[in-house]
Formats: sequence, structure tokens, C-alpha cells
Amino acid sequence: MVNFTINGQSVSCEKGETILNVARKNAIYIPTMCYLQKTTPCASCRLCSVEAEGVEGFVLSCQAPAIEGLCVITESDSLHKERVNIMKMYDVNHPLECGVCDKSGACDLQNKTLEFNVGTQEFSAKDQHRKIEHWGRINYDPALCILCEKCTHVCNEVIGDDAIDLYFGGYGSKVIPKNSETLDCTFCGECISVCPVGALVSSDFQYTANAWELSKIPAACAHCSAACALEYEVKHESIDAIGQEKIYRVTNDFEVNTLCGAGRFAYDFENRIYGKDKEAFLGAIEAIKKGAIRFSSLITNEEAMILQRMKEKLGIKLFNQEALNFSKFMKAYGSTSGQSLYSATLEHIRSSDAIVIIGSRIATDNPAVRYAMTTAARHKGARITYMHPIEDALMQNTAKQYVKYEVGAEEGVMALLAKTLLEGKTLDSEISAFFAELDLGYLEAESNVGDEEMMQLKKNLTRTKKRTLILGADLIAHAKAENIARLAGLIEKHTEFKVMIVAPSTNTLGVSLICDLDEESEGYAVGYNARGEFVLSSFGEGDLDMPSLNQQEGTFTTIDKRVVPTNVALPYNGYVLNDLANALGIRAEYTIDYTSQLPYSVGFECNAFDTLNARYGNAIKDSRGYELKSIEVTCDGVLSSVDELPEFNGTVLYACNPVLQFTPNTQKAHQLEEEACLRGSEQFAIAAKLSDGDRVEFDFGTLRQKRIFKIDTALKGTIALNPAYDLGLAAMVSSYRYQSVKISKVGS
Amino acid sequence: MSKVYFSTWRGEMINNINVPQDEWKESAYNLPAQYDSARDAKAFIGWDGVALFKGDIDVVRLATEYAAQYQIYSEACGRCAPGRWGGRILYDLMDKIARGEGSVADMDHLKEVSRTMQTTSKCEIGKTVPTPLLDLMEHFEADFMDLIDNQKASPHYHLKEISYIAKITAPCTDACPAHVDIPGYIEGVRDLRFDDSLIATRQTMPLAHTCGRVCPHPCEDECRRTNLDEPISIMALKRLGADYETDHGFGFFHPIEKKASTGKKVAVIGSGPAGLTTAYYLALEGVHCDVYEELPVLGGEVAVGVPEYRMPIDKYNKDIEAVADLGVNFITNTKVTADMMRQFEKEYDAIMVATGTRISKAVRCQNERPEIEGYWGAIEMLDQINLWDKYGIGEPVDLTGKTVACVGGGFTSMDVVRCSIRAGAKRVIMLYRRDEKTIIRNTTYEEYHEAVEEGVEFIFHSAVDRIVDENDVLKSLIVDMYELVPDPEGGRPNLEKIEGASYELEVDYLIPAVSQSADLDLLPEEWALEQTSWATIKTNGKDYMTSRKGIFASGDCEYGPMTIVNAVGQAKRAASVMARYVQTGEVTLLDDEIMEDHLRKMKVYDKNEKVTGWLPGLPREQSEVLSADERKTNNREVNLGFTQEQAIAEADRCMRCYYIAMAAV
Repeated sequence: MVNFTINGQSVSCEKGETILNVARKNAIYIPTMCYLQKTTPCASCRLCSVEAEGVEGFVLSCQAPAIEGLCVITESDSLHKERVNIMKMYDVNHPLECGVCDKSGACDLQNKTLEFNVGTQEFSAKDQHRKIEHWGRINYDPALCILCEKCTHVCNEVIGDDAIDLYFGGYGSKVIPKNSETLDCTFCGECISVCPVGALVSSDFQYTANAWELSKIPAACAHCSAACALEYEVKHESIDAIGQEKIYRVTNDFEVNTLCGAGRFAYDFENRIYGKDKEAFLGAIEAIKKGAIRFSSLITNEEAMILQRMKEKLGIKLFNQEALNFSKFMKAYGSTSGQSLYSATLEHIRSSDAIVIIGSRIATDNPAVRYAMTTAARHKGARITYMHPIEDALMQNTAKQYVKYEVGAEEGVMALLAKTLLEGKTLDSEISAFFAELDLGYLEAESNVGDEEMMQLKKNLTRTKKRTLILGADLIAHAKAENIARLAGLIEKHTEFKVMIVAPSTNTLGVSLICDLDEESEGYAVGYNARGEFVLSSFGEGDLDMPSLNQQEGTFTTIDKRVVPTNVALPYNGYVLNDLANALGIRAEYTIDYTSQLPYSVGFECNAFDTLNARYGNAIKDSRGYELKSIEVTCDGVLSSVDELPEFNGTVLYACNPVLQFTPNTQKAHQLEEEACLRGSEQFAIAAKLSDGDRVEFDFGTLRQKRIFKIDTALKGTIALNPAYDLGLAAMVSSYRYQSVKISKVGS
Repeated sequence: MSKVYFSTWRGEMINNINVPQDEWKESAYNLPAQYDSARDAKAFIGWDGVALFKGDIDVVRLATEYAAQYQIYSEACGRCAPGRWGGRILYDLMDKIARGEGSVADMDHLKEVSRTMQTTSKCEIGKTVPTPLLDLMEHFEADFMDLIDNQKASPHYHLKEISYIAKITAPCTDACPAHVDIPGYIEGVRDLRFDDSLIATRQTMPLAHTCGRVCPHPCEDECRRTNLDEPISIMALKRLGADYETDHGFGFFHPIEKKASTGKKVAVIGSGPAGLTTAYYLALEGVHCDVYEELPVLGGEVAVGVPEYRMPIDKYNKDIEAVADLGVNFITNTKVTADMMRQFEKEYDAIMVATGTRISKAVRCQNERPEIEGYWGAIEMLDQINLWDKYGIGEPVDLTGKTVACVGGGFTSMDVVRCSIRAGAKRVIMLYRRDEKTIIRNTTYEEYHEAVEEGVEFIFHSAVDRIVDENDVLKSLIVDMYELVPDPEGGRPNLEKIEGASYELEVDYLIPAVSQSADLDLLPEEWALEQTSWATIKTNGKDYMTSRKGIFASGDCEYGPMTIVNAVGQAKRAASVMARYVQTGEVTLLDDEIMEDHLRKMKVYDKNEKVTGWLPGLPREQSEVLSADERKTNNREVNLGFTQEQAIAEADRCMRCYYIAMAAV
């Protein structure tokens, strides 16, 4: 601990913490224009300069770590004078377009100009012509840019795209796309978010609303299991439509949390209906009574609770293969780890110095995990081993080791990994016997993962102190998922590794804990955002409309094992699931009455919805809602021997959406328009005898699909990526993500 | 010492205005009054003041040009609000006054903006650019007011004849023989932009892995942070960029795109640091290089001299690959002879001789005969060890049960004794004429202490008097002991032999590692290349051309046994000269290079300067090293390098001491 004073107030902190951070924690204000907590200091604005007793000159508080016994002064006449001068310089030639600027009203430059009372411009400099850049979803106006560098820092240090750079040229400095003519990135839009002025703006939002006209609705993102905190910003649709609300944009509390482009740009997925369809409602009641509901995990915990109550009351079956797979995976995992939940969190990943990830194309599957890995790679120098059959160019500057394994070999790879990581640990004789009996030669040959790669992986761990193992969706839907999970549980239990299991869909974890799911069977079933004989749908094509996730209040169970609230951004005029439940005799006034009834036995708490915090506080960590309790379970899992690894020959496709696309909800978003194509490398095209732009047809699992084939030069190898987000009710893939297919060309 | 008309350099105040020229006082500093052999300088202006060498200088124009340089050179900067906008305001206001449109208020604003820049800027450029401008405004106020009062342009405002030649430097960059942009690569680490960091290094130093490990870092002796607490661990931060490139399997980040082929070609003799550097920068300029190497492996002494535990060969090979990536052609197992050199002179547009110093010098004791079994030159011994350890060539060295004595005191001798420990020697002794302090100064603190920890016995103030052999087999050494006797005149103390203190030391091996000399047999006799008094190839130390046109020399064969970074620095400069020479046939230096040499002569670092605006008391980070027991029986890399957090913390200590210097010529 380091003890020192700020303005006479005694404070203390960890060694290495900066003066600015300590001040903030102690609610002492120091002005900044360029500081971003989640990145290294940009140190460009110099406003945070402070004085320290015995130190001549000013000290930069964002960068200087506190030292024992220091007496810091944050306000003095000379500090004020220089801060005013800095603001005067910032204001030199800053275009006076506040009247139309998107940032007006929420602009750091405006705020600080007012704060330091800069009313006149005493200095001048020759003005220069600055060309506005149009980079797709992002516009950049260098004239408005104050070169704080927050955008370049966040893009490189947190996102990992490293797509923008500063062109250094003194007064002519500007932000430019890095090594490219135009911006080539995943369009997360975090640069827009962190921009303190109106220099980087959303091209879609620009000039559509003033900041102060928009109501901010705190919510959780509905697109993936990270369920990131965001705010829907809402205003009436037009002056002709008072009362008709519309989401204009999504923003995030960028100091503490980061959004991907789906969260930021795919917000208009509401189900717009006018009035209640009584007839359909009655039809739905009758349909439910027929005995089965099939549903996706794009629902809240409360809705899942309602479905469970329906099952309990009516004896119906609940089908959700994706969540059932996950539930089995978690149980098997617990049977060797001794805990019902995995132990890692995104924060743990961010602070890890060694990470192994297996079975996920993580940059598309869960951007929040990718960002946490980027943070770890940059800030902690994390040695990241990325194990997957398909190399991902987006991960190159993050991962230090790429281990390519054969499709289908996940169980064998996991066995080799567990053997490597558990070496030297004291294990039960049965477990030791399991590893002793492994046919290493066969596993290495069939999985294509050599001993050298495992030795390298082990070498990567030397001197590392905080380790995370991340397991992806490929494993959860694998035929040998449970054995894979048991192996992972052993790693959690016996090594320093903390494990994270990336749930395949937004609320898979919640559903798997709340619902007692049944094995799929043929026969009549109601589909809720899933296929069925009678369909309840928020996507807008069903027999009875349901509200979308931006039209509902309730909670999600996140990848961080937190129960987080989401709120109604847009009104919904139709029936909701709770109405159906009430009609079936399951009584509750509001859906959120179920928040406090979520099952305690699996780790939920009895907190009422209104007690849950939806925003981040000053704390750096995610403190929304509450954390699920992990339950101790008996370690009775028995490893089954790894026999034959399946082989996938011929043309293999991988169920994988493009970055920013997840579900029919993201597909609906007007800003993410793109055609869902089958994407493969040049090598794939040659092997499959396809050329760019060919129309093709194939059976993926049970589904006949027609797609356009596109060559993606960023891809390598012989496996093509087949999206699913555009498949409507069939968009939820619950089977193993790789399939051997026969592709035929059509209509050429 | 130079005669000046006026100077405020480094706080001196010399004012010879209205004084007859022959009575001018001299400046205490080595200011560049003569710019080059053909031209005198009119003024020198920089971070620490201004010096005028002539009376007829237009000070307002000078100030304006200096402010303009800040605009031009701000590619290195423009990174903070006061610097970016302040620098521009400074220039615009100066120019306004200089062209005859200024006002009294502009003078006030200049002072106001200057103060904010001086107190709040991010780097020293922003903090120091106003310094000489304020000096000029103070001491030549009348000149400024004259322009303002009469609204007229300054006398030389439209004059084109005067060149204003500027150069960015930093104390560390100046001290580095390769003039590496050290603040730049450290900034890359601090900003977690490791690619930028590496590119900053590779502008002048292609061996980033290597010099991130085994550089004696003279830069750290001239790090400004020393004035505040301790120097930055500059060397260790270099490897982060290189590791980033290697660990993530990127292609090579070259500082510039390789230029189109010039159709010219150069023969480089020797593939050590000097040869590699020559080839790297010539290749970038579009000049084809054939590099001839006598040994079966590439890399020169860093490959076969520096042991694996200090410099892992896979990392060095990455540096070599970066050179090969530019299309450089390597020819191994080829010892270049005088006949070949004669041929090369016809075939190639220029030749670089970079053959190093690979002959172990004698200890100069009695009965010193190479044929004595157990008398083993350091170079031969390290060759055998490294060729085996790193490449599996030849045979391993096994010293189990043997006693080894090494005579030396420099890096090579340290490598000899530590390798002997690793080869299993029973007892390893270093005989050194001087004391502990000197051996540390000649190597590094770490190197010496690590050797001690591993069990090397250091016998200071000792020298071998005689080798004792039995039938040409080494048996023992007669060792004389010396002591330092103070000079009664107050001069340097003398080493004097202690009579009666000599003794016999039984050894199996005596390894002379006192120094090395150059093997210059490859130089055709009729060329009669000038040599130095210590038998290396002579150049002027600026353009590195030998006394024969088109034949260049760099590295140890030019300088004598020195450091890797020295070889790199020489070769980088030589490559720049050669790239022009092969095109034009002329040997020239760039203004940037002339300024570089001037600055080095002046020395940028000022150990007496008081540093303000930084919090003192942040200790230098120490990287983890393997314990003696973990390392002394194997070749594992001893220094494990910084953790990322240590590296960032260390980079945060860097004060970005960039400066702009400018000469008016």
C-alpha cells in the first residue's frame, strides 16, 4: 500500500496506481480531456497536471504513479491559469457548429470550455482546410477532432482491430485508417463512443437528434451472452408521430464497458404491431395445451420461469436443444470440478497473463470475450493459445500460438490438453489411469495436434500467474460434449486455470438453470421464436406476435454469471407471454414479478426486479444486478475413454455468422444490411470447384440452404463459414457446428 | 570552444554585440561554428538557448524558422494540446511579426503561450522550443519592436540564400552509436503499439532482438532520467517490439517500403552486425547485396561468440531473417581472398569490408606458445562451443574436472569463463590486471555479478608472468600480483608489481581473451589501404570509405573490437553513404548526418541539468533472472525480460526528451 495525500486528504492505493485514479476513487475532481480508464494514458491533454510538494513543475496525474508520502495539490492559481490556457488552445479554430453538432450538449470540449470560462479567443492560428472522411458507418471530421487519441487507444488496446492510427503532423495531425485507404475494421463503433467531441460520429445517427432530446433507457444487450450494459436512446419518431417512439442510437458507459457493433448498431429489432390479436391469442392457449413448447434462448429469465411454470402446471414438454446441450455440459463439468458454475469472468480474462481458448471463433461468437482477451494481450502481455480448426485473422495480433486441430477432434484435443496441464498433479487413480491409457500416437495423428505444440503451450505458461481456459460452442454441441466437459472440470479443479464456458446464445445459461428441459421429440409443439406448429414470434412472422427483447423488462443471466436487468425501450401493444400464462391459470401481474422467484437452489437470489441496478457505478467492474452463486456439487464424474475420433471428409462447412451478426434480431437492423453468404478461402473455392459469386445449394444438417458463395481473402484453409442468422426460426444452431456437405451449383 | 557574437547556450551569457570581432569572448561549448568543410554557420539555435556566430543574422527570421521547424518536425510530436496548438500559434505569431504585421499584443501572447508550453507540454520539444525564442525576444527586443512599430518585414524575411537546417535529437539517441529513436520505441511500448515501436527501432537498427538483449547500452549513461532518479532501462524495452512481431507470426515490419531496384550491387564481406546492417539498409534503398561469410553460419561474432544463454540463437536468427526478407543474398563457407577482392572490385559497384576482429591477441607472457596443449584462444574456444550448442556443428566442449584460467576483463572473457562453468569445469579463474570497479565499467554490473554467482573466481590486480609446460602440455602459470600505488604528483595511480607475491597456479587451460585483432589478409597488398596504428582499416569515421575509392569498412575491423551497436551505427551510416555513392560516384553526407555528428560533438545530454515537471523517486524496473543454480549447467537464457506490466511501468518513466536543433548556414 502507498499512503499519500491529495489536497490534504489522506488516501492510499496499490503500488503503481496513478494519482488521477486514486483521486477519482476518492471523489476528488481533476479535469481531463483525454483520459480513458480502460486504456493506457493518452497523456495528450495535459489538463490533469497537478502540483506535488517538493517537486518543481507540474506532474501529470494520469501517468504518474503515487509514491509514499507525496502531498498532491490538484487546484492552484498557476494550475488554473495553465488549464485555462490549454482550453483556449483547444478552442482555437474549433468550428462553431455546436448548433448542429451531434455532440452538442454532451461534449467534453463544450463542458470544459464552460468550466474554465473561456469566453474569448485571444490567440489565433491560421485555419486549415480539413476534409471530412466517410468511413461507412463512421464519419470523421478532422476539424472537430481534438487529437485526444482515445479512439486509437481503444481500437488497439481494447477492441484489437488496431484499425486507426494517428497521422502525426503537429497542427495538421489527424486520425487515419491504419495501413489502408479506408477504414477496414469490425465496426464496433467504440471509437464513436469514446470521442469526446463530434469528430467521430455514427453516419446513420448524424444530424438526426440532439443529445438532450433523447431519453436514455438503461438495458442489457440482447444479442449474445455477454449481455453488455447499454443505453437505448429514444425519442419520438417524427413531429407527425408524437408518442410513436423510436430508438435513435445506442450508447454505452465507455469508461467501464465496451460494446461491439451489434450492440451499438443493431437496436431496431422491435416487433412493431398495432393492437392485440385476440383470435391468435386464443389459438396460442389451445396450442400450448397440446403439450410442448420449443423455444430459443433469446428470452429473459422471467419468461423462462413462466415456461417452467407452464411445464409444472400443465405437464407440457419444454424443448430447447441448445440450452439442453449446455445444461448437460455444465452438469458434466460440475461432476469433476465440484462446482455448478465455471469460475472465470470477463474481468478475470482481462487480467490474465495466459489464456487458452478452444472450440470457438470467438471474435464472432462473443466479441466481449475477444475484447477481454485483447486487453489481456496488450496490457498483461498474455500468452494466448488459440485452438481451432479455422485460423482467424482477427486474432493474429492477440494470439501468440495458433493450434489447428482437425474438425471433430475436440474430445481428443481436450484429452491432450488436460494431460498436458494436469501433468505432475496429484490425481485419483482412475483419472491417472485414464491419462495413462490414452493412445497418444492415435490422438496426435487424428487431431493433428503434435507433442511439440503442447510443449510450446506449456512453455507459454512459464512465469504466468493468472490463467484462463475458455471453452466455446463447438464443444458444447459436440457428440462427446460431456466427456469434454469432464476433462475441463478436472483442469478447473486441479490447476491454476479458471474456466469460462461461452454460452452459445443470449440467455442460454439462464434457461439451462431455470427450465427443466426435455429431449427433443417429434410431434406437435408450439414454437416460441423457434419452429413449431404454432409459432409465437417476436421476429414478426409467427401466428401470435410477441414483444422483442428491447420491448421487455426482465433479466438475463450473463457470461459473467450475473443476473442483469434490461428495460423497455419501446412500448409493445400486443400480448406477452405472461398474458398467456395468466390465461392458463399461472397468475402474476407483471412478468417481472418472477424476478424474485427465480430458483434459489441453482444460485439465483430472491431480489425484486426494481432493486436491481442496471447501470455501472463508479466501480470499474460490472456491478449490475447480482452474481449467481455457484453451488458445490459432488465430484462423481467418470471419464469415459477416448476411443475413435470422428472424421470429416469432403466439403466441410462451419456454422458461423459474420462479425456483428447473431440472430434474426441483428438481421433486422437497418444499419447492418449485408447479404448472408457462404464464405470460403481461395483454397476452399479451388477444392470445392467454386468461384466467387456462384449460387450454391446444400443440405446443412436437416436444412436445405441456397446461398451465394463468396471468396474471403482473409480466410485460410478448407472450411467455409455458413451463416445462420438469416434463417429466421431456424437460426438457432443446436447441432455440432461443422457439417460435411455436398455443394451443388444452381442456375449458373 | 568557439568564438561567438552572442550566446545563451546552456545558460551562458555571452554578448559581443558592439564588440570588435577580435575581442569576442569564446563560448564554453563546442558549438558548430563551422558547418562543414565548405560552409560556416551563422547561428545555432536549440533546446537550451541560441548562439549567433555572425553579427548580420536576422534574429526574427531565425526565431520564425525555428518555430517553423517545430511545425515541420512535429511528425515526431503533435501529441499534446499545448504542443500542437501552442506550436502553431508560436509560429503564426512569429511569422506575423517577421513579415511586418505584428503588434505589441502578439509579443505578450507569444510569452503567454510559451509559458504554457514550457510547463505543460508532453515532451521536451514542446517544453523547450520556446526557450531560445524567449531568449531572442528578451535580448533583441529592439529588433522585434522595430518591425512592429514600423510594420516592416524583417531584413532577411525574403532572403533565400540562408539554409535553416534542423535535426531532431534526444540525449539517449545522441549517445547511441546507432542513433536509435529511443523515445520513439519507448513511446510505442507505452502506447502498446509494439509494431510502431519496432519500426522506430528499425529505422537505424535492424537487430532489435539482439540489441534488446546484449547491448552495453551507452544510451543509459546519458539518459536524462538519471538527473531525476535512475536511468530508464532502455535496452530491455527494445525487445518488446521484436517479440511482438515474432510471437504473433507477422511478416517483417520494415521502417520503409523497399525501394525499386537501382540495378546496383554491393559485396559485403562478413555477416556480423556490421555486414547485416550494411545489407539491410542498402537493400531497403534498392541496392542488391551479396554477403560473403567465412563460417558455415550467419551472424558473425554474435552467432559464434556471444553464448546462447545471453543471446538465444533463434532470436538472432529472426533479426537475420529480417535482413534476408529484403532479398539479401548470403553466401556462407566462403573466405574471401585478395584475389576475390580484386575480382569483386570489378564486379560490384562498391564493397563493404566488415570482417570483424577474429584473431585472439596474446597475453604477452613468457613461454607463450600456441602449440602448448591447453593454450586456447578465446575466439577458437567460443567458436567451438557456439557452433555445437547452437547449430550442432563440430564437437561439444567438455571441461569436466578441468581448471580453466582466462586472462581478460572484457565481454569476451566473461563469455569464456561463464561458458567454462557451463562446460563443467572444476575451477574457473579470471585473471585481471585491474580492479572490480573497472571490470564492471568495461562490461556490465549484471555480467560480472552473474559470473561471480555462477562460481567464477576473479583474481584482481594479477597478470601471468610465465607459462609452465611439460613437453608442450600446459601445467601451471606463474602469476604476478600488482597493487595500485598512488602517484605522489596527484596523477593516475600506478599499477606496481608486489615483489614476492607471485605464485604458481595449476591449470589445464589458459585462455587469452585480452583483445582481438583484425585479419586483413583479404586486402590486396597493392591497394595499400591505410590502417590505424592498432592495425585496423582506416576511414574518417564519418563516411566510412577507406583510402581506396569504393571500398568501405565498418565494425570491428574498422574500429577495433567494440560493441554490436557501434558496428551497427557505423554500418548504418556507411550504407547511407554507399547508397548515394553507387548512384553518383560521390561520397557525401546528408545534412541530417552532418548535424548528427555536430550534436554528438556537443553532446546533447547535460548531467547538470535540473529536471522539473516529473515526479522523482520511481525506481527502475528489474527483470527477473534465473538463479545461479537454475542456469549454470545449461544454456537457458539468463535474463527473462520484463513482464508486460514492468515494461509499461518502465516506459512510463521515459520523459520523451526530444529536442530540435537548428543551424542557420
